Amino acid sequence: MLTKFETSSNQVRGLSFHPKRPWILSSLHTGVIQLWDYRMATLIDTFEEHDGPVRGVHFHISQPLFVSGGDDYKIKVWNYKTHKCLFTLLGHLDYIRTVQFHHECPWIVSASDDQTIRIWNWQSRTCVSVLAGHNHYVMCASFHPKEDLLVSASLDQTVRVWDIAPLRNKKKTPLADDDDIMGLTQMNSDLFDATVKYVLEGHDRGVNWAAFHPTLPLIVSGADDRKVKLWRTNETKAWEVDTLRGHSSNVSSVMFHAKHDVIVSNSEDKTIRVWDATKRTEIKTFRRENDRFWILAAHPETNLLAAGHDSGLIVFKLERERPAFALSGDSLLYAKDGFLRRYEYSTQKDSQVIPIQRPRTVSHSPTENAALISSDLDGGSYELYIIRSGTVQRDAKRVSGGGSAVFIARKRFAVLDKSTGQEEVLVVKNLKNEVVKKIPLPIPTYAIFYAGTGTLLCRCEDKVVMFDLTQRLVLGEVHTPSVRHVVWSNDMESVALLSKHTIILASKKELVIQCTLHETTTRVKSGAWDDDNGVFIYTTLNHVKYCLPNGDSGIIRTLVVPIYITKVSSDKIFFLDRDGRNKEITVNATEYMFKLALMRKRFDHVARMIEGSRISGQAMVAYMQQKGFPEVALHFVEEEGHERVRFNLAIESGNMSVAVASATKINEKDYWFRLGVEALRQGGNSSIVEFAYQQTRSIERLSFLYLITGNLEKLSKLMKKKDVMGQFQNALYLGDVKERVKILEKGGLLPLAYITASVHGLKDIAERLSIALGDDVPSLPQGKTHSLLMPPIPVVCGGDWPLLRVMKGIFEGGLESGNDDVEEGDWGDALDMVDVEEDGEGSGWGGLELLDTPFMTPSQGMDVSQIWSQESPLAAEQAAAGSFDTAMSLLHRQLGIKNFAPLKSMLLDLFSGSHSYLPAFSSSPVLTSLTANLQPPHLRLALLSAMGVCYKARNLATAYNFAKRLLETNPTESQAKTARQIVQAAERNMTDATELNYDFRNPFVICGSTYVPIYRGQENVSCPYCTARFVPSQEGKICGICDLAVIGADASGLLCSPSQVR
Amino acid sequence: MAGMGSGPDHLFNLRNTFYLGAYQTAINNSEIPNLSPEDAVERDCLVFRSYIALGSYQLVISEIDEAAATPLQAVKLLAMYLSSPDNKESTISSVKEWLADSTIGNNAILRLIAGTIFMHEEDYNEALKHTHAGGTMDLHALNVQIFIKMHRSDYAEKQLRVMQQYDEDHTLTQLATAWLNLAVGGSKIQEAYLIFQDFSERYPMTCLVLNSKAVCCMQMGNFDEAESLLLEALNKDAKDPETLANLVVCSLHVGKSSSRYLSQLKLSHPEHVLVKRVSSAEDNFERALQSIA
Repeated sequence: MLTKFETSSNQVRGLSFHPKRPWILSSLHTGVIQLWDYRMATLIDTFEEHDGPVRGVHFHISQPLFVSGGDDYKIKVWNYKTHKCLFTLLGHLDYIRTVQFHHECPWIVSASDDQTIRIWNWQSRTCVSVLAGHNHYVMCASFHPKEDLLVSASLDQTVRVWDIAPLRNKKKTPLADDDDIMGLTQMNSDLFDATVKYVLEGHDRGVNWAAFHPTLPLIVSGADDRKVKLWRTNETKAWEVDTLRGHSSNVSSVMFHAKHDVIVSNSEDKTIRVWDATKRTEIKTFRRENDRFWILAAHPETNLLAAGHDSGLIVFKLERERPAFALSGDSLLYAKDGFLRRYEYSTQKDSQVIPIQRPRTVSHSPTENAALISSDLDGGSYELYIIRSGTVQRDAKRVSGGGSAVFIARKRFAVLDKSTGQEEVLVVKNLKNEVVKKIPLPIPTYAIFYAGTGTLLCRCEDKVVMFDLTQRLVLGEVHTPSVRHVVWSNDMESVALLSKHTIILASKKELVIQCTLHETTTRVKSGAWDDDNGVFIYTTLNHVKYCLPNGDSGIIRTLVVPIYITKVSSDKIFFLDRDGRNKEITVNATEYMFKLALMRKRFDHVARMIEGSRISGQAMVAYMQQKGFPEVALHFVEEEGHERVRFNLAIESGNMSVAVASATKINEKDYWFRLGVEALRQGGNSSIVEFAYQQTRSIERLSFLYLITGNLEKLSKLMKKKDVMGQFQNALYLGDVKERVKILEKGGLLPLAYITASVHGLKDIAERLSIALGDDVPSLPQGKTHSLLMPPIPVVCGGDWPLLRVMKGIFEGGLESGNDDVEEGDWGDALDMVDVEEDGEGSGWGGLELLDTPFMTPSQGMDVSQIWSQESPLAAEQAAAGSFDTAMSLLHRQLGIKNFAPLKSMLLDLFSGSHSYLPAFSSSPVLTSLTANLQPPHLRLALLSAMGVCYKARNLATAYNFAKRLLETNPTESQAKTARQIVQAAERNMTDATELNYDFRNPFVICGSTYVPIYRGQENVSCPYCTARFVPSQEGKICGICDLAVIGADASGLLCSPSQVR
Repeated sequence: MAGMGSGPDHLFNLRNTFYLGAYQTAINNSEIPNLSPEDAVERDCLVFRSYIALGSYQLVISEIDEAAATPLQAVKLLAMYLSSPDNKESTISSVKEWLADSTIGNNAILRLIAGTIFMHEEDYNEALKHTHAGGTMDLHALNVQIFIKMHRSDYAEKQLRVMQQYDEDHTLTQLATAWLNLAVGGSKIQEAYLIFQDFSERYPMTCLVLNSKAVCCMQMGNFDEAESLLLEALNKDAKDPETLANLVVCSLHVGKSSSRYLSQLKLSHPEHVLVKRVSSAEDNFERALQSIA
């Protein structure tokens, strides 16, 4: 039994599962009704209106309603959404034992100690039928799930089956036609129209429970005689089929399992028992220490069961629903319906392999086609199967306590044998199930998992240890809550350890944790690696999610029912559902692919995804901002409506051009100010600072900016502003004494003006002022030497400072897409404050059009020739790029060539042949464009010339050699023809014209320059280019055959394709 | 934008023939009745630009007098610039002067001519300064070309997008797309080839289209087809520099002698890129030979 949820409360007398939500209602002996979420293990609500114990509750199948019946004789119908009791049905004269909604009709059936069963219409809120016949307490009554039948159990030792078809027919007669009194009388006469169909007698004591089989004509009942009885019905009669004995006290509740062929019963003997419905034998017993069981309930859809006892309730499953499976390459071995099956992903072929017991785990050795089936049966056991085509050899079934068996190599498997009492010993066996060796384990181990050949993951309570069985060495350990499943990536480099609520991703090497992920509210069900991307895809109860190597996770999609992922391949997820069917879903992997690209800084991918605009949403923006990619996030903010976000991101990523465009659109003082601050901080982006200050009309800041950037011209223009203080300040900055005097004079500060003028030696002005001042001419301080205060002359009148060009990669270009014209940079006069002279202060500053012209030419890109000459190790590419010196040194190194003069035309041709010429716009320069296929012609040309040289020298054998090599390079037709001719000629006369001392019995080559034969074994040197042999005395000279290379030079061999380099 | 007006576009055919390099045809068919004064100026520009493209610089210089409209004066500047290397400096300074004049500095043809001249000077910065704002399809197309020259296909693509927004089917848009495709290379070359193929089906073959197709073929490694296309182009105009240059390249690849074409090119167009490249390469080679010796 797998307990999913438990509560501790008062005695639970009634239970009902919600048909859709993970809720269960429990009614308590105290009169309280509790609504629990069993998945989250939280109490959602309580309903307290009943007086005394509530014995029956039931959810409506579709409406937000439930019904309850208690010892206060009341039936209450509740709306759980509004938390209100809608109405109370009165009529029973004693305790109410059970209540139940009908699945179609607006009916409620109730069983009561007043010996009656009543059927109520909860819409008209009236009793529509009273079923009398039992002559003791009626302990339970329930509708048949499909037919118009009702079954009831009573302490009168009988079970009764009622036919309620007349009731349904009556419902169809229109009630509105009758007047009130008539209706009442009619109703009274109709009240007893449900008739008893069968009375099942056989129990020796009072019957506590009776239930229909969901599909078959079977009834099961449990009674105080401690027996469970099975009954069969047909059209005319009903009879007892069998009796299940085992309970040692009153059987309180009993039911058929909807999905498995079992009967579940519980009893006051503190046990729940599971019986095989066909064999009628007891399968399992679950015992509680102190609590008597009172009630059972089954979930209408899933496999969940619930039982109420003296101190609470339990929600449980009889067996796990995860199908056991093992993945190997393209095929999946999995267990379904008593068979081991094989599913091939590529062909979708599904075949039955062998019949097996329901297993817990499957382990597979694909090369030997052996399978280990571990199950919980007999307290833990495994079976080893060797599957041969056609016949299945089933090898020794070996029972062991708690045994989990796992393949650790092709022909070896490890068994954790607990039966011996030596928990720390691992037994390694071969395919004959013979013990090969016993290995003591480093920790007390509860479970073992495969971890590569000869390696196991051993799990104890709080950690997992990676253990090398051959070295008997602990390779690494991870502290984790009890690990349930282990999922390896395809390359066995990464592993995911799945616990109930935790996922740990770790590397194989030393089991280093890459990230830990907690699913606090839900359970982790399964997972698989997206091997192409290194992303772990997993499922919880209700979601498919991803986990990136850095621990970021997110939801890919929601699930209605849990699934068990078996494999992930690009955007397809293959899984087994709870019924063990292989299915696949296609998911949208964009989000995690995007995050992955971002994480790996693969901005080309990021850009492509953005371009395809498959990504959107504020969440993504926030994510990228948080992860430190504001410049990427910028792309996601549409210009309309999110200008402020855009501005913030632009500032954050230092993208001034976008920031300016944004600020222009927002046009608020605060934003201009921030733009100015950022532009200043970026160092010398003075045109933007200036623009920002202009926009905010910060004259003082602006004049100071002009001062420090040495822009005296604009500073002097600023003086024409009306603000006197500002004018004076600017005059001071400019060192313009006359202007200062003028300002002082205009401001009525004549004495000051006079002093300023006279101190600076402006005599005529001083005189004029002294006249104006008359008697009040201030006396100048005596004996002081005055010095002229002048601001330093600016060395340069700076525009923007040159910025170090940082590779912004892919985003450099795309950003300006929306506003092509805004670019950082300064074209000098664009920001001229043309309107400064105007009087109206406002009008002069509005010119937004001033800034939208700055445009900066992009920096030059890189020519392919440049790339070649910088990076290529191929002589041909170097030559094509015009880097002859590099090409030559390469050829020297690779072929020992020293004499390049003969290669001149060839190398020059390579260069001239590298580009073709595209006439583009009339009268503008032509565009050059690359031509394809450089290397093979190069090689061919070299071979062709060498071949020619040798042929002319009648050194046919050597020429033959070259011709053969030339033919291998796939030459043009004419070249091939020549080569073939040479081959033919050479084959006819396989000699070199200059030969001497011919001795065909001893293989020899002829020295290419002295024409002395060099017999095999004799010392010789060779030309690295044409491979002609020479006597050692020739070493260091230029080879006479090819006239290119130095004889005996060290050469690494020609690189003529980029593929050789890698 | 040229040709965007609501009335009938009398110059449509003229423009297309010009863009596709059928210069003599353009000149021959330039007598179009009922032209508005602006259209007449544009027509004259096209005609004179065709003459320039055919190398008749002196004709253009002598026919455009002082009284002609600004665009025509600009065209005259181009003719002067191209007519002789001695004129270059003086022409550039007058171009700069005119551009600085606020009354005519913004003229689209003037900016186009300025861009072309600065492009010849390989001063892309200066060229873009005047052309980047666009305004006519010609200017945008020139921008695309400049950006390709700068090996900045990203910017070229942006320009192209602007052109596509205005008129995706415009001949210049199509041409610019093909140029960019050729610059980007790889699988895009096939697209470029198809664009030129379209042109050759719709309009009479010109050296420009034939050469463009040949370049596509060469990039795809299809040298035999390239050679036949180039020979066809040579039939049309035996002195076309691009045809000769491409024939040099193509011959090298098919293993034929290229020396005749090269000497022809050296004689007729001593300033051609290929000629310059070859002579500089020879120097380079000698230098390299010495350094390695």
